Amino acid sequence: MKNTLLKSIALLAITLAFTSCSDDDNAVNNVSGTGTIGIEFDNSFAGNDLILNTQPNTTSNGEVLKISTIKYIVSNIVLIKADGSVFTYPKSESYFIVDEANANTHVLNLSNVPAGDYTKIKFGIGVDQEQFNLGASGQGDFLALAQAADMLWSWSAGYKFLAFEGTFTSPTVTTATPFMVHTGQTGTDYNYTEITLDMPSKALVRNTITPVVHIVADLSEIIDGTNKIKLSDNNMGGMGAMIMGGANLPLITANLNSMFRIDHVHND
Amino acid sequence: MKSTIVIIIFALFSTTIAIAGDGNSPPPNFAKYLYEFDDCDACGCSASGGGMGFSSMLDRNFVGIRYFYQSYSSRDGIFANSPWVDENFNTIQLWARIPVYKNFEISAQVPYHTNNRALSTGKQQIDGVGDITVLGFYTIYQTTKDSTVFTHTLKAGGGVKAPVGKYDSANNGSVNPSFQLGTGAWDYLLAAEYVIKKQNLGFNAMLNYAFKSKNKEQYQFGNQLNYAGTFFYVIEKDKFTIVPQAGLAGEVYATNRQYGQDVPQTKGDILLGKLGLEAGMGKFSVGVNGMLPISQNLTGGRVEANYRWSVNLNYSL
Repeated sequence: MKNTLLKSIALLAITLAFTSCSDDDNAVNNVSGTGTIGIEFDNSFAGNDLILNTQPNTTSNGEVLKISTIKYIVSNIVLIKADGSVFTYPKSESYFIVDEANANTHVLNLSNVPAGDYTKIKFGIGVDQEQFNLGASGQGDFLALAQAADMLWSWSAGYKFLAFEGTFTSPTVTTATPFMVHTGQTGTDYNYTEITLDMPSKALVRNTITPVVHIVADLSEIIDGTNKIKLSDNNMGGMGAMIMGGANLPLITANLNSMFRIDHVHND
Repeated sequence: MKSTIVIIIFALFSTTIAIAGDGNSPPPNFAKYLYEFDDCDACGCSASGGGMGFSSMLDRNFVGIRYFYQSYSSRDGIFANSPWVDENFNTIQLWARIPVYKNFEISAQVPYHTNNRALSTGKQQIDGVGDITVLGFYTIYQTTKDSTVFTHTLKAGGGVKAPVGKYDSANNGSVNPSFQLGTGAWDYLLAAEYVIKKQNLGFNAMLNYAFKSKNKEQYQFGNQLNYAGTFFYVIEKDKFTIVPQAGLAGEVYATNRQYGQDVPQTKGDILLGKLGLEAGMGKFSVGVNGMLPISQNLTGGRVEANYRWSVNLNYSL
């Protein structure tokens, strides 16, 4: 009685287990065709979720920032597999503007991505020089997009790669004072940078699975990363800290390399 | 009376299974067995006993109904300033331990869950029948009564948890992956229970392990180890018996997997202290039980168990 019952239960269980396994494996093992992947950018400040305008964010230099604007150009996305083989998203479609104030821009949806298990992602912040050298007519729809988003100074001055704005106070600046950090090309530096991130788990692109790579951007790194830049040192005549050129831009550009990390990857 | 209740229980079992079959959803958590077949699935106790155990210290065999409540707090987001939300897991459960043949008995639990939480995006509630657990137990060793100072009982068994409860992959995201009615997959369970008694004082030790399989959404909750040790003292009066009890219970969860990959920050463990009281009169008994965490590390610290309590009404077989 006992043995018969237990055996029956076990047999039933094993049968069901193997049945469901084979179903599951088919979905993952069918690595053919193309799929879609979402690249999500989630802005934060030193571990806290970013809240625009109201949230005080304190740097290691004791400066307190209230951030009103953060936008950056994400470009030239490359997905990399464990064996090192790469999929380069078509260059003409690979320019995006992430704007904290516009939720529709937080997830970049890449379509027609070959099915595969991707372990790394590479992307640029800004517009690379090769693309810029194509001239205004070579920019396609992105030029208008950048203009509309106020991410272009002028064609000759070029794109703003990253725009970081708000107000700040510090031990020496006690009334809220505007700051603007805009990166882009200067007379001496181009300031485009590319970043490669490891995924904590593989992004499984299939025609039945659309992964989302959840990237966290820590805005504290912009001025408070490897290179520390005080806004109060750039507060010309007390009118506000405007960092849009000069020696600080390459330092800020270098900081961007440690601004991003992948928190997790959804495979749903 | 006895047979009527048994018939009612089985009728409910059948109904539940029929519903599950139609609904294409997974069945049960057959995990709860012996005194403590704790089966708090994958940290959120999506299905079944929530560490409350599966047996009574008072009645060896019974059918009954139990209500239990579990309070959790989960971080709604991935950041330090992400809000913590309260999660309330309410379960009404039919539970039974029924002798079948000589030294063999069957333990079963059929839960109905009402779980809710208030996310930043609004209140969310899920309710429905959860995963059903059925276990068979065999008495390996039992001291002959009245012959020695100490009496020992050792039982071992196994069973299944059938995926009757609904599993919704939309809930496996960044908050508590166990905010579910069921795991969506079959579990295979091994369990053992040891009871030692000297006169009115006893100690119950239980150990069980759940091997969890993949569900249709290709999500696999991590295997789960439950253990518990409970001291109990039997106070017998003319018309009633009271059994106060106190002990520790623990749960250890392995990492969840999806498409064969580990899902980060899903393993965990918790140790709880528990106090309870059962009172029996004639064929009926009532019990209350409370559990508080002593130490815990669930899902990378994103989920915290606050407390659990239960009440039950049993009919002794």
